[in-house]
Amino acid sequence: MRHAMKKRFHPGNLVAWGYALLILGPMVWILSNSFKRQIDILMGTSFAPMTLVNYKQLLFSRQSDFLENLANSGIVAVISTVIVLAIATLAAFTIVRLQPPKWAVWLLLGWALVFHMLPTLTFVGSWYVMYSNAGLHGTYTALILTQVVHNLPTTLFLMVGFIMAIPNELVQAARLDGCSYGQVFARIVLPLSFGGMAAAGALAFISAWSDFAIALNLSSRHTMTAPVAIATFAQEHEVRYGAMAAASVVSMIPALVLILFGQRYVIRGLMAGAVK
Amino acid sequence: MQTTSTGRRNAVWRIGSLLPAALLLVVLSIYPVFNLIGLSLSEVHWADGQSASTFVGLDNYRTVFADQPVYWAGVRNTIVFAVLAVTFQMLLGFCMALSVQNLKGVPRAILTAIFLLPIVIPPIVIGAMWRLLLGRDFGMVNALLQAVGLPAVDFLGNPNIALFSVIGVDVWHWTPFVFLLLLTGLESLDQEVFDAARFDVTSGWQRLRYITLPLMLPTIIITLGLRLILSFKVFDEIYLLTGGGPGTSTEVINFSIYRTFFAQDNTGLGAAMSVLTLGAVAVLIVVVNGLVRLRRRREAKA
Amino acid sequence: MLGFHHRKGRWTRRLLAGAAALALAGPASAEEIRLLISQSPWLDAFIAMVDEYEDQSDNTIALDVTPFGGMVEKTRNSLRADSGSYDLLALNSAALAEFYAGGFLQPLDAIEPGLTVPENVLTFGDSTHWSAEKKAFDPAGQLLGLPINGNVQVLYYRKDLYEAKGLKAPETWEELEANTKALKDDKTYGFVTRGAKDSILYNFTPYLFSNGGAFFKDPANGDYSVVLNNAQGLEALETYMRLAKESGVENPGAVAQAELIQLLATGRAAQAIGVIAAYASLNDPSNSIVAGKIGTALIPAKAGESHSSAAGHWMASIPRNVPAEKQAAALHFLKWFVTRDAQIDYVAAGGVPVRSDLADAFEGDETFDFLPAFSANAAVSQMNMPLVEGIELKDVISLELNRALIGEISAKDALNSAAQKANDVLVKAGYTVTPPGQL
Repeated sequence: MRHAMKKRFHPGNLVAWGYALLILGPMVWILSNSFKRQIDILMGTSFAPMTLVNYKQLLFSRQSDFLENLANSGIVAVISTVIVLAIATLAAFTIVRLQPPKWAVWLLLGWALVFHMLPTLTFVGSWYVMYSNAGLHGTYTALILTQVVHNLPTTLFLMVGFIMAIPNELVQAARLDGCSYGQVFARIVLPLSFGGMAAAGALAFISAWSDFAIALNLSSRHTMTAPVAIATFAQEHEVRYGAMAAASVVSMIPALVLILFGQRYVIRGLMAGAVK
Repeated sequence: MQTTSTGRRNAVWRIGSLLPAALLLVVLSIYPVFNLIGLSLSEVHWADGQSASTFVGLDNYRTVFADQPVYWAGVRNTIVFAVLAVTFQMLLGFCMALSVQNLKGVPRAILTAIFLLPIVIPPIVIGAMWRLLLGRDFGMVNALLQAVGLPAVDFLGNPNIALFSVIGVDVWHWTPFVFLLLLTGLESLDQEVFDAARFDVTSGWQRLRYITLPLMLPTIIITLGLRLILSFKVFDEIYLLTGGGPGTSTEVINFSIYRTFFAQDNTGLGAAMSVLTLGAVAVLIVVVNGLVRLRRRREAKA
Repeated sequence: MLGFHHRKGRWTRRLLAGAAALALAGPASAEEIRLLISQSPWLDAFIAMVDEYEDQSDNTIALDVTPFGGMVEKTRNSLRADSGSYDLLALNSAALAEFYAGGFLQPLDAIEPGLTVPENVLTFGDSTHWSAEKKAFDPAGQLLGLPINGNVQVLYYRKDLYEAKGLKAPETWEELEANTKALKDDKTYGFVTRGAKDSILYNFTPYLFSNGGAFFKDPANGDYSVVLNNAQGLEALETYMRLAKESGVENPGAVAQAELIQLLATGRAAQAIGVIAAYASLNDPSNSIVAGKIGTALIPAKAGESHSSAAGHWMASIPRNVPAEKQAAALHFLKWFVTRDAQIDYVAAGGVPVRSDLADAFEGDETFDFLPAFSANAAVSQMNMPLVEGIELKDVISLELNRALIGEISAKDALNSAAQKANDVLVKAGYTVTPPGQL
């Protein structure tokens, strides 16, 4: 049977590795750009003298606080992801298995969908006013809360989907054993949804990490995030490709580390789930 | 048999688990959404440092239908964009998920890490980077084409292919999203079903068609739905790649909204466009939902 | 980067600038001035000036460096709030009218009675003043800002190619066309037209004005009747399209600012009309292979008509929604910044000045060769859309111009259509205008 599977997925493997190449190509190009001068990037020269000026300007110049920006991105993204996962998973379990009144489900999910479909840029003005009046302009709280509510619809729908995949028999069996909802959640549902949480969490994290519109309007100098800092290289008259490449390389590293770290969690969770 | 304390704990749980989500949505989304609807029904002027808002009823909506040819060009482009981009993303993502599923250990970790790279990069970098790569005179893609003897292509300047270039970049950018979700879905499939069907189903194709796909249907639908909605909201790629041009060939709805609501500061018109688009998508969802239900009922009867 | 080349007399000037600052000294309290500014090539020079100012004054300046694409949003948020986040705002000329008309800004002579624009400071089409009644930039109106970066369009050309072919800087559009034809060959574009939809209007403006045409009838007095589609406008657009065709660039309708600079910097283009702010980059060996070979000149005009350039500068203004002490401190910095000595340091550090009297300070120094051309163009620079609805008008007119350039419609149809749509926008916004005729 193993043989049959291997033969079957050959075309798929080709697609996978081909796509990987298609991704690696531009990535290597960005990496090489980060070590080139602007003119060499503009001319498309493949082998140009290497220079560290982009990184120096990024990390050590007076007008750039890129490491601080990265740290801000990390704080906002990690905390908002943890919060949104907690909220969404709790709500999803109740919606799927605990038979809440139909009107409540329709209202919650419907409103989340409506909110999700409207463009974010039309909301940032209102949020700015709300936070300014509450004295929270430019704080981490404002950024984190907004990222949570911004990612809530997607995460909620995803967790609803993943929890639906958990067989109802397991839940019913636990209920018959006398477990309260909380115990069912903690002992049955949560372990089985680690895989889903990892995926939804990764997507929520990435959305919060690379968000621009919200961070631009709601952050101050001290809470500015990496995407906004990177956007400063898209200037009025030209794009500073070298600096942008350097900034991208530096910002990709923590994001990848955090995701890969979360990935091991997936494998552990799936192993735990497999031993049902 | 439930003791009353468990019963009470359960009641608390039912409400308490839904409360944070509901609370957050109420506090942070009700005001902005209703503000937006209100804006769509009014005209706002700023004078003397204060805003003055006049109620104009459905005027803004009328303007969208009567006087905004660029918006409607954008609607057409957005539909083409959404359909093509999402289709390719789903197909590619599914293939990739199927193949990665069978890998273990190091090759799998490497592939997954590579696949996640495009969505980790800030969108603005993707736009700027592909603009340079697809540039006519100095772009790498044209350099590669010319190296194998093909003529250079004006990917972003030719009105006939600009939209497809943008779609290509979007597919490159978001396929990993689909890949991640479908892989998770595949991993969570119950192996017992596959084992049980071992005797009835012999070829890989059959297994795919009769077991994997039906079992994956919920995941696929949610992923498809999310991707469709997100592709209607596409903005960053267009902004830096083409700015909506040349002409109106890459204008999309979200970009029109950006220009109107934000650049021109015509919040009334921009809000009307947003609400209209929302309405259209909602109608679409209801219609599709209805069709799917009809089909299921017919299949159940058969 | 155009570094601190001009050391001669630098310390003398610093002392003088310090003396000037003390002479201008206002109240002695130390304030932190919060400034919103965009990241740009001249920011380094500006920061050098900030450092210099902080050396000589008790005030400090906190810079919020923002992406260019986010400037208008953050400016609007701050100005419209009850209490502003910034005491000094850098406003791009494209959105200037919106902020002037909105009543958000404190007139500078309300902070310091009797203040006028210092002599020799450029106003870039009177854009330092605004009249609320006329809804126009009117020198008799309120003083709402002082410029902090003077960006105008100039004619760029390759000195080495001119020398090789025995050409000289063109005075008229015909001469420019002749030069273009002479310079074009397989590897070189004779000229670059910036025809992308988002920049074509800015690029087209000098052609229009220096052919005797205009967008509006009498904008200085608030009469915005559209006159774009007259004989002069047609001639201007036809000249524009002809130059684009003869230049050799295949798709000028997709060339934006970044591509224009790229073509010049990589040596593929021989001439172009571009912003002076790109000069520092074009002369920097790490940004350009033609460093030292770029010349600047006054933009040509039709024989017998007056020259014109387009203004794309940055103005600094002070909002009303911040405390009076902050306003005073911000004004203190602004006044110091536009003094001659400070401006000389600014140019030396790589900035584009806002004064017209600096050429003699850098005479003989090749690095600052751009100053005479800059001053000449700045003196005739105009604001193309000097009204609140400017951005909307820019959108409708640009679309038609772009379509004409890519060959979708004829020049005549484009101008008529643009004029008609612009008229519709103005009528809807409540202006009293005379409808445009038909070409």
